[in-house]
Amino acid sequence: MSAISCQCDGGSYLEPERIRNFSIIAHIDHGKSTLADRLIESTGALTHREMTAQVLDSMDLERERGITIKAQAVRLDYEYDGQSVEMNLIDTPGHVDFTYEVSRALQACEGAILVVDAAQGVQAQTLANLYMALEHDLAIIPVINKIDLPNADPERVIEELVEIGLDGTEAILVSAKQGIGIEAVLRAVVQRVPSPKGDGTAPLRALIFDSRFDSYKGVLVYIRVIDGELKVGDTVRFMATEKEFAVTEMGVFRPHLTAIDRLSSGEVGYFAAAIKTVQDTRVGDTVTNAQRPAPAALPGYRPAQPMVFSGLYPVDSQDYGRLREALEKLQLNDASLTFEPETSVALGFGFRAGFLGLLHLEVIQERLEREYDLSLITTAPNVVYQVTMVDKTILRVDNPALMPTPGDIVSIEEPMVDASIITPTDYIGAVMELCQERRGTFRDLSYMDPKRAMIQYRLPLGEIMYDFFDQLKSRTRGYASFDYHLVGLEAADLVRMDILLNGQIVDALSVIVHRDRAYYRGKALAEKLRELIPRQMFEVPIQAAIGSRVVARETVRAMRKDVLSKCYGGDITRKRKLLEKQKEGKKRMKSVGNVEIPQEAFMAILRVDDPS
Amino acid sequence: MIEDDFLLTDWGLYVHIPFCQARCTYCDFNTVTHMGVDDHQSYMDALAAEWERAILPSGRLISVFFGGGTPSLVDPSLIGRFLDVVRERVREFGPDVEVTLEANPGTVTREHFVKLRQVGVNRLSIGAQAMQESHLKALNRIHGVTDIRRAVSDARDAGFDNVSLDAIYGLPAQSFAEWQETLTELLKLKPDHLSLYRLQVEEGTPLADGVRKGTLIMPDDDRMADMADFAEATLDDRGFVHYEISNWSRPGFDSRHNQLYWTLNSYLGLGAGAHSYHEGRRWWNYRGVRRYIETQRAGEPALDDGEILSHLEQMREYVWLGLRRQRGVNRERFHTKFHEHLDEVFETTVAELTDLGLVESQDAILKLTGRGRDLANTVFRKFMAEVAP
Repeated sequence: MSAISCQCDGGSYLEPERIRNFSIIAHIDHGKSTLADRLIESTGALTHREMTAQVLDSMDLERERGITIKAQAVRLDYEYDGQSVEMNLIDTPGHVDFTYEVSRALQACEGAILVVDAAQGVQAQTLANLYMALEHDLAIIPVINKIDLPNADPERVIEELVEIGLDGTEAILVSAKQGIGIEAVLRAVVQRVPSPKGDGTAPLRALIFDSRFDSYKGVLVYIRVIDGELKVGDTVRFMATEKEFAVTEMGVFRPHLTAIDRLSSGEVGYFAAAIKTVQDTRVGDTVTNAQRPAPAALPGYRPAQPMVFSGLYPVDSQDYGRLREALEKLQLNDASLTFEPETSVALGFGFRAGFLGLLHLEVIQERLEREYDLSLITTAPNVVYQVTMVDKTILRVDNPALMPTPGDIVSIEEPMVDASIITPTDYIGAVMELCQERRGTFRDLSYMDPKRAMIQYRLPLGEIMYDFFDQLKSRTRGYASFDYHLVGLEAADLVRMDILLNGQIVDALSVIVHRDRAYYRGKALAEKLRELIPRQMFEVPIQAAIGSRVVARETVRAMRKDVLSKCYGGDITRKRKLLEKQKEGKKRMKSVGNVEIPQEAFMAILRVDDPS
Repeated sequence: MIEDDFLLTDWGLYVHIPFCQARCTYCDFNTVTHMGVDDHQSYMDALAAEWERAILPSGRLISVFFGGGTPSLVDPSLIGRFLDVVRERVREFGPDVEVTLEANPGTVTREHFVKLRQVGVNRLSIGAQAMQESHLKALNRIHGVTDIRRAVSDARDAGFDNVSLDAIYGLPAQSFAEWQETLTELLKLKPDHLSLYRLQVEEGTPLADGVRKGTLIMPDDDRMADMADFAEATLDDRGFVHYEISNWSRPGFDSRHNQLYWTLNSYLGLGAGAHSYHEGRRWWNYRGVRRYIETQRAGEPALDDGEILSHLEQMREYVWLGLRRQRGVNRERFHTKFHEHLDEVFETTVAELTDLGLVESQDAILKLTGRGRDLANTVFRKFMAEVAP
């Protein structure tokens, strides 16, 4: 088969010169998915009737939240000056939790459309994504979207683009919603994005940028072929996991999966090989041919590293088995989710699960509750600490309750991030104050334009988890945007603070706090718990303690009355059902040392307001 | 002793009168407004028809209770005619049968009470609810404070020597002092019996709407508890017997009807939405008033649904319902009724509750302690079966 264009059903082999692989990057809500939909629609990959709003966000949750969790790909056939061009659009996750996934998706491309909202202008994620795209040497096509908005100000946005080092004259004005400028975007992709450079005759090297579990075919591995080619029947090897599989099917995304029999250098597609779990197909890994392996893998692979940990416990202890099965099923499709069994005195049997970030945690938690009908108690999320012990051993502590006693510890290190916050200049003071409160170290302040500034701080990741984003939004009236990336570990004066109810430590409520802030946090947490824990038959003392030193104390007073006095005219059934329902409600609480604790209490630390 | 309590076979008759002039903001009972005198007539006929066809328990009828709704809206002659129909099937219907009628102070006159007394009603339950015009108005009651005083005085004049008053505490924005006033003023009317209810916010009522919207503010738990404690102490002081969780009486004036529910004695409920119980079976009628009238006219059953209690469920209910009464649950009576020993069936529950100081035993009697009465629901829930989620 020659490599000359051959439009035959089931597959097409194009010269790499006629292939364009690109991605769309944007700050959240700047219209990335809408633009993608328009591109798909106008190239006829889907008819208008087939379009459901935002085709690429295929999970319900993604559509509801307006975010992309999984990367996706779609192949567009575009006629350019009488010649057909194969354009592969690789959609990237739009959240800082998935930065690594975004970088892999970008690595599979030669160009990126940078979407900027015509009213909001350049935001923190715009910059973070742009820098990442530049790191991968991608051609950038700036697109100013939403020009139909009454408060659109493309001129100002162009100035901002110049300020961040782009050529303002290259910006394309678009309203994805109204279909304005779509053709110009498509032409720009052909003109400005370089065609893929690879060696079609070299041993196979394909980059995995995503994978997805299909109940019938097993894992579908999403790849970009860099060198060589891949055919049905080939035995492939994953270079990081060293697993080998025989390819049973391959194809492209139109966006429905469409089978073809070979993928060549420069192309984007998927293959199936009866793979049972996505754990074998790590994003960023390199696929090669087992018979003719490439000497070296593609650069940049790293194993998924959970950053945020939380205890997941079934409200009803009988659901433990169901929870494990549900987590296993989610893991089939999510290599970054980790979990291992854990036992809590307070909560019984559950799992300590690791997530890429808070959003990832929330998504998994919601899917467990919605799709698997589980009722869960989630403990407050925490980061993982690196603890150097007196005997020189180093521990990774992902559960505050397991933090060793201070006498055994030499030092504790916590993960740090470099955060960029773009805010109207009016709120610079408020933002800096927030960052100081969160133990931030000032790094830089620069002006995007006379009205907007970018503030950079180094912050402990753990501090960002306590409603940092909400605080940032509320202190800047929603105008600030925020992005961060991990920069490593730093030692800090951290201590474990325990919560005691009725004199007993509730292990699931222990938190790691900075010593200087322990008193305040303890007081706020004890107060919050006093509100959340219903009155019991007896008075319940709440104490926050570091070791044996009590730093805060509150009391839930004893319940005075619990009596149903209304007589329902002989309707005993109703009266009984009410009591049965209450009894059921009590069952949903966890009982620790005679104290019944409602589910919400275990997340109380997250709702503690910070001083302002 | 068993003897001074009801016989196991004593039974009661509940007659539901759904008519009201206006609906109170807190009410979720089966009531209708805007129905005329003609409807009263056909409804009372329907009640008679249902009664005629009902299978009656074999024991003594010891109580007839006209509840509502507002039974006092119905002309006394219609009540009288209905009682005559009842008497036709109950031979031993003597003056010792407790015949109670609920009366709204805004619907009654002295003549009205005289007639009711004449047709055989011997106990009145007057819904006072509060002694402040502002609260009565806020609850959408159709009467004022003076109507309450007048109604009680008219009842006495008409010869009623067993008069009960209802009051509600924990009204929106109600102060402790207002509740003190309500209770003190009601006591001045020298009632023989008092039913004191804590206001329950029921879904779908205007009260619930107001609470959700924040236009109505319920007193906090502590103020409610203070109100309940005040009532308890005051009534004890005045010689009232706290014979049931929400009911107090002068000695000898405890309501029989009220207690039949708590002893698993049989009761037959007639009327729209009325509930009945007999030997482990509970059932209830359709709530729709027109539908009820039509089915009775057509000679069809008004049955909506029911449930059958297992032997164990009956034992559970017998205990937790019985604990509502001051006299508690009699173990001998339990054994007579169920042929099982209470302490064997509920061994761990009774032990746990005793340890917690919520129940106590005096010979054959198992009863709530003072603290147990405050936390009655906590006690009752212990006797509930575990239900599947």
